[in-house]
Amino acid sequence: MSAALDIDGVTAGYGESMVLRDVRLSVAPGEVVAVLGKNGMGKTTLLKTVMGFLPARAGRVRIAGADVTGTPPHRRAARAVAYGPQDRAIFQELTVGENLRLALPRGVRDMQAGIERLAAFFPFLASRQRQRAGTLSGGEQKMLIMARALLTRPRLLLIDEITEGLQPSVITRLGEVVRAERAASGIAVLLVEQNVGFALSVADRYAVLARGEIADEGPADADAAARVAAHLSV
Amino acid sequence: MIGLLLDVATTAAILFVVAAGLLITFGVLKIINFAHGGFLTVGGYAALVVTQAGGSPWLAAPAAFVAGVVLGAAVERVIVRPLYSRPLDAILATWGLGIVIVQLITLAFGRGTNFVPSPVSGAVAAFGTDYSAWRLIMLVVAVLLAAALAALLQGTRLGLEARAVIMNEELAQGLGIDSTRVRFVTFALGAGLAAFAGALITPLLSVDPLMGVPWLLNAFMLVLVSGTSLASLGLASLLLGGAQVVISTYGNPVLGALSIVVLAAVLLRIRPAGFARG
Amino acid sequence: MARTPLLRGGVAVAIAAALVLAAPLALDQYAISILIRSFLFGAIAVTVDILWGYCGVLSFGQATYFGIGAYAFGLAVTQIGLSPGVALGALAAGCAVSALVAWLIAWLGFGPRVTPLYISVITLVEAVIFVQLIYSGGDFTGSSSGLSGFDTFDVSMEGWFRIAGLFLLAAVVLGAILVRSDAGRLLVAIRENEQRCRYCGIATARVKGVLLAGAAVIAALAGYAYAGYTDVIAPDLGNFQFGTELVIWVALGGRGTLYGPAAAAVLIDYASAYLGGTLPFIWQLIVGLVFIVVIVLMPQGIGPAVASLARRRPRAVAPPALATVADAEVGGDAAKPAIAVAGLSRHYGSLRVLDGIDFTARAGELVSLVGPNGAGKTTLIRCLSDGAERSGGSVAIEGTPIGRAAPEACVRLGLGRKFQAPNVFETLTVADALRIARARQERLSPWRRAQSIALPAAARLVLQATGLEDALATEVRHLSHGAKQALELAMVLAMQPRVLLLDEPTAGLTKGERTLIGGILTDLVRRHGLCILLVEHDLEFVREISSRIIVLHQGRILLDGSVAEVTGSELVRSIYTGTPEPAAA
Repeated sequence: MSAALDIDGVTAGYGESMVLRDVRLSVAPGEVVAVLGKNGMGKTTLLKTVMGFLPARAGRVRIAGADVTGTPPHRRAARAVAYGPQDRAIFQELTVGENLRLALPRGVRDMQAGIERLAAFFPFLASRQRQRAGTLSGGEQKMLIMARALLTRPRLLLIDEITEGLQPSVITRLGEVVRAERAASGIAVLLVEQNVGFALSVADRYAVLARGEIADEGPADADAAARVAAHLSV
Repeated sequence: MIGLLLDVATTAAILFVVAAGLLITFGVLKIINFAHGGFLTVGGYAALVVTQAGGSPWLAAPAAFVAGVVLGAAVERVIVRPLYSRPLDAILATWGLGIVIVQLITLAFGRGTNFVPSPVSGAVAAFGTDYSAWRLIMLVVAVLLAAALAALLQGTRLGLEARAVIMNEELAQGLGIDSTRVRFVTFALGAGLAAFAGALITPLLSVDPLMGVPWLLNAFMLVLVSGTSLASLGLASLLLGGAQVVISTYGNPVLGALSIVVLAAVLLRIRPAGFARG
Repeated sequence: MARTPLLRGGVAVAIAAALVLAAPLALDQYAISILIRSFLFGAIAVTVDILWGYCGVLSFGQATYFGIGAYAFGLAVTQIGLSPGVALGALAAGCAVSALVAWLIAWLGFGPRVTPLYISVITLVEAVIFVQLIYSGGDFTGSSSGLSGFDTFDVSMEGWFRIAGLFLLAAVVLGAILVRSDAGRLLVAIRENEQRCRYCGIATARVKGVLLAGAAVIAALAGYAYAGYTDVIAPDLGNFQFGTELVIWVALGGRGTLYGPAAAAVLIDYASAYLGGTLPFIWQLIVGLVFIVVIVLMPQGIGPAVASLARRRPRAVAPPALATVADAEVGGDAAKPAIAVAGLSRHYGSLRVLDGIDFTARAGELVSLVGPNGAGKTTLIRCLSDGAERSGGSVAIEGTPIGRAAPEACVRLGLGRKFQAPNVFETLTVADALRIARARQERLSPWRRAQSIALPAAARLVLQATGLEDALATEVRHLSHGAKQALELAMVLAMQPRVLLLDEPTAGLTKGERTLIGGILTDLVRRHGLCILLVEHDLEFVREISSRIIVLHQGRILLDGSVAEVTGSELVRSIYTGTPEPAAA
């Protein structure tokens, strides 16, 4: 069975500067992989390259075995890939319901089942669909991003610093929903995080990006925190 | 007084109808379509062709809309799409297209002035005064058009996608929305609306190859001060169109003709976002 | 074959002038009569090219100044009669009115917060107003039909041909001298990156205003000559359709080449006169179609496309030599803090990005600003260097409050800012970029290239250490990311600031280069008494060079203390590694 995501020797960057160099990483179906690293090491760029917002200058990107290198982002999203970016990740002017509806594939109208499923974790979703998303609190906005990403049961979830600026209880709930969705539908997750504790608590494996290269990777076991800390040390 | 109020309302209605297509194109594509005047002229001639072929004057505007959509679709594919990353060049290229349209029409129909019969004629009694029936119909058309566009934007999947692309194109793409397709449909619709407006104004004005030029400038300025919002466009049409009517009536017709462009330019200098929020 | 470019240019100009003077002997009367107009149009096209192709100001208003010049002559002669005094007075009036109108347009169009598109809009409006004014002038202006048949100069057709031809030649030659000079490089720099120019202390709005006014005068001169020659003035000389036609010619000929627009204007106008008579609409149609094709497929225009077929390798220009200037006296009043910030806040709507920021930094301090993404570090730097940015509070540089001052004014107070992403001029050479950075110290000549650039020792050290000294003639876009970072740092140091704001100056540099730049920075602080505020993510680097560290978190100062205090803080560690913070933070 092919990997849910296979990043095969990808080099990418902006202008003349290469932010990623020959990155190799794959995520098996049902696996959660955390990408860690300090600021400016290329974590966000990695997700943008996987989604096709940035062209890979070298290497291939495969999603569920299909080579998608060079295809536009919306084609990749159509392969049951959900992406939650870090910045400007919701449509502030649209309602909660409209934000969710945009994640539905064209032609699908019913999202009631998905909302009911996710409202178990994020109760506000069911009751506040008509609220403008920009008026949600920071934590609720992050929950909306997660809910929108999971609404259609994607096979691969790419999520960028979902815990940034969140209180511990919300972080815990986000961890719960990832674990529950994985148990229910075998979703594969590539998680970019600065919050090492959260990342290692939900991940099966981790990888550390440093200066655009994978500096370390391994299972998210008991020793992982210490190994990661060595890379992130002040 | 009633007459003046009706003048203001109907002038605003006409301006709104004329600028609506330009606004939605600008909103989604971030490109000012300077061929808008050309598309308007195409609409005027579509009305001429329909009525000269014996069609009902009521058919003129729908036929013009269809012609505009077809033309807009072709133009988007060939000229506009390669220029998305170069918005200034897109303005220039659509300006060139406007020239081409005018010359093609001149070749086909000559430079002369033509008149299209109005579906309704004369004046009707309204609000205690006699007033041009067609101008009143334009008022109704503007309200219906605003409602239809609002329903399209607020109530349909395409409208939702278009709003998403306006707000944050990259995020929309990441959710699986094909923004190229959204742009294509929007441009064709904008061209269709331009032609539709061109046909609607024919009962009031003569049809000639340059009929679109004065409208283009006013529509352009209205869109600049309205940003991407239909409501702002309605407000801008009412205020600036109203100023035009008042200045022309009580002041000097030359100043009246200038009022929209000058007021809009002053407004943009003081408040670059114009009537739009921000 | 001429030996130097200067000599070669001189020979070319002499040949062109001789051709202009001799051509009337060989051409028929009709051709001469048309070419006079074409030459004048060519000269305005050159001004449109300097504005748009070089400086990035897309103006539709050049036709209006042409119209003003033409009406100045026509109206003066119609109203007063022709005499040398009236002719000269009308010339002066036409030029003065054009320059004044252009200055007003520049004031409107290059104001703060105005979008770049606005200048194009306002020049379009300007043309519309011009036409309406002429329309409303009644018998005085001849309204829509204009005026004709007034007395004019007793100059033969051949004479006008030579005047117009030499005028065009002069426009091209003077334009070429300007764009090749140091000041001409500044025009390109403004097009490329106006923000960087302003942070080099250059009042770009003024520069563009002067350029617009100068271009307006040239267009008015052409209009004056046109009215004198044709004996006809009409509103369409100044309408926006003509303004747009000029832009089309420039785009077709090749923006930023001078010769391309001049040639395109002359050829197209000349051909229009011949073909426009026999096939009027088809000719316009062809021009329109060609224009679309060129814009879509050859955005650089036809001129450069043709030239690249014939072009040998580009002529290498010898880079200027570098010299070292004596280090400036250490900053003003040592008793006053170099930078003092009190109660500074910045919010976007209801979102507070910075709140209650208070700190001072003195000469001889290197203060590092650290904090996680989104803490507000870059926003703070922005608020310190541009008076319009902050929502509340005050900033003073060496005791002088910046108020609402624009960046160029802050720079004149002694501030230097390096941006986070390299913020340089992509199509300029390294030497030109450094030259622009020194513009405030050494005036940029509008007619020649400086042979040497004097830089302070610190800037030269950065250039030496990163190898940029050997790349002075290289275009900046060919540099690596790291080299661009180093160049921007050298540019900022070249301005000899006393307060230096550095946003991640070493991102993208190698370990060795970072160490070296760290050394230069500490040296500037210790030996030259600069005050440096540094935003850095690399805490190792911060620890090595800082004298003090300020930690920003969620828009507030969390900690302000010595290196040891901050790096030993549990709180800081928890923020960086992301363990949940205490609820009260």
